[in-house]
Amino acid sequence: MANLERAPRRSFNDLIYDLIFKNYVWQSIFRTGYPNTPRNQMLAVATNVFLHLHPTRIHRTHVKITHTYCLGGLSFFMFLGLTVTGVLLMFYYVPSIERAYQDIQELEANVRFGQLLRNMHRWMAHAMIILVLLHMMRVFYTGAYKPPREFNWVVGVVLFILTLLLSFTGYLLPWDQLAFWAITVGTTMVGSAPVLGDESKFLLLGGFSVGPNALIRFYTLHVIGLPLVISIFMAVHFWRVRRDGGLARPL
Amino acid sequence: MVSRAAAAIRTRPRREREAEVLVWPDLVFIEFISALIFSIALMVLSAMVNAPLLNRADPDTTPNPSKAPWYFLNLQELLLHMEPAWAGVIVPTIALVLLAAIPYWDRDTEGQGVWFGTKFAGRLTVFGFTAATLVTSLLIIWDGSLHVVWTENVIRGLGLNSDFSWPGGLDWFRNLRGFDTGIPWESLGFTIGGFTMFEDWRAIPLGIPGTTTDPWLLNLNFPSFLSQQIIPVATMVGLPVLFVVFCKGLGWIHSRRDIALLIFSAFIGVYLTTTIVGTAFRGQGQDLKPPWDIVVLEE
Repeated sequence: MANLERAPRRSFNDLIYDLIFKNYVWQSIFRTGYPNTPRNQMLAVATNVFLHLHPTRIHRTHVKITHTYCLGGLSFFMFLGLTVTGVLLMFYYVPSIERAYQDIQELEANVRFGQLLRNMHRWMAHAMIILVLLHMMRVFYTGAYKPPREFNWVVGVVLFILTLLLSFTGYLLPWDQLAFWAITVGTTMVGSAPVLGDESKFLLLGGFSVGPNALIRFYTLHVIGLPLVISIFMAVHFWRVRRDGGLARPL
Repeated sequence: MVSRAAAAIRTRPRREREAEVLVWPDLVFIEFISALIFSIALMVLSAMVNAPLLNRADPDTTPNPSKAPWYFLNLQELLLHMEPAWAGVIVPTIALVLLAAIPYWDRDTEGQGVWFGTKFAGRLTVFGFTAATLVTSLLIIWDGSLHVVWTENVIRGLGLNSDFSWPGGLDWFRNLRGFDTGIPWESLGFTIGGFTMFEDWRAIPLGIPGTTTDPWLLNLNFPSFLSQQIIPVATMVGLPVLFVVFCKGLGWIHSRRDIALLIFSAFIGVYLTTTIVGTAFRGQGQDLKPPWDIVVLEE
């Protein structure tokens, strides 16, 4: 009978486990213990600032890939990736017409992984637009805009416009022929508005044609103005997903 | 009186705990994997395909064709077929407002949370998308006068008439501008009482005092107004209405959700078609060309 009272033999793995997860520093960061029990798993989500975007439990149908294809989450993930690569690109780029083009050339030629960095930023931007569009289609075809989610659909439409604007403002920055003429064509379309057309074009370009003022305006909007605005709308969007009862499902 | 939105929340049945899973690990795992797959895919793409970088910007050298970023090429495509104010600003604004307004118009809470939740949703989606794609393509072909080229080539190629060219009597059917330039407007005046009406269709006085520099406000150029504004707008309003009437006739439409499904799918069709045509089928002078014939010249 003595055997039963003896504590079970502690293996080497247990020792490592305790060393990592049961020390004072670890527990000051993660208060809830390793998420290997349902209680700790829920606490892990609820007490983590990043994860608490989620509820602790969700309906079984919502983890089916074919219900959402992760499109909204991936759009947000693209935004995060674009922020990271964008910040890194800012180290090498000066938004003046004397330096902009040269900076991109040097980034591609002289900076280690510079070309990869720029490629990532560009393809992620394209991917984000496509993902946002697909996300909108997913929400529409699953009828997820219906009450009580009307307003969040409107926020989504605003996010779509902001995504396009973010991409459009970034398009000018390399200051090559592609950038210059694409923005010239784009802003000419703005200028054809029946009311305040010329005025909005002037406001956007800081002049009558694409030049140094336009570059600095597009740059500022691209790296700080629009990211701030889109972050606010994203916060509202995610918050409302939770507030409106999570993902839509049949009544 | 509670709002419909509030009622929708209130009447939701209590959540059944058995039907739920834990976010950690079930959802967090999926999110992590999908993020990982996308990171790897984009990394591979970036390693293989370089972002384009052309020559340094030069305001004196215009590339032909000059194109907006691809996600605005649907609007640039519209620009070729109507007054720039409609294509560049008014149409997209109205489209976005209508898009945002969908849930305020289709308020029925039935059928949410499932793909294609109504009985005829699948058919409406396929029909809306396919029909809109087809009609848009045909309109683009017509406005690009491709039917003229094809007819001429076929008749010449078959040896029926080696000098055949599009008959002058059908000039009005060459393209959209044909309504402007292909009709003898000068001879179309008519007389009411003692007055000869619209002797000059290209400068119909509107009686608006001249405070603006826009000439058509003062003197309406009716043929141009017809081809650049009336016909495009009537098409954009008329075709969706026609689609709805047609599907209603087939008995496919039973709710606002059905109409929304049809029109949204048609919108996606138009959006995709115009984007693809604008991106891959527009060469120099914005002429319709197959993608492999498109060369960008710098002028």
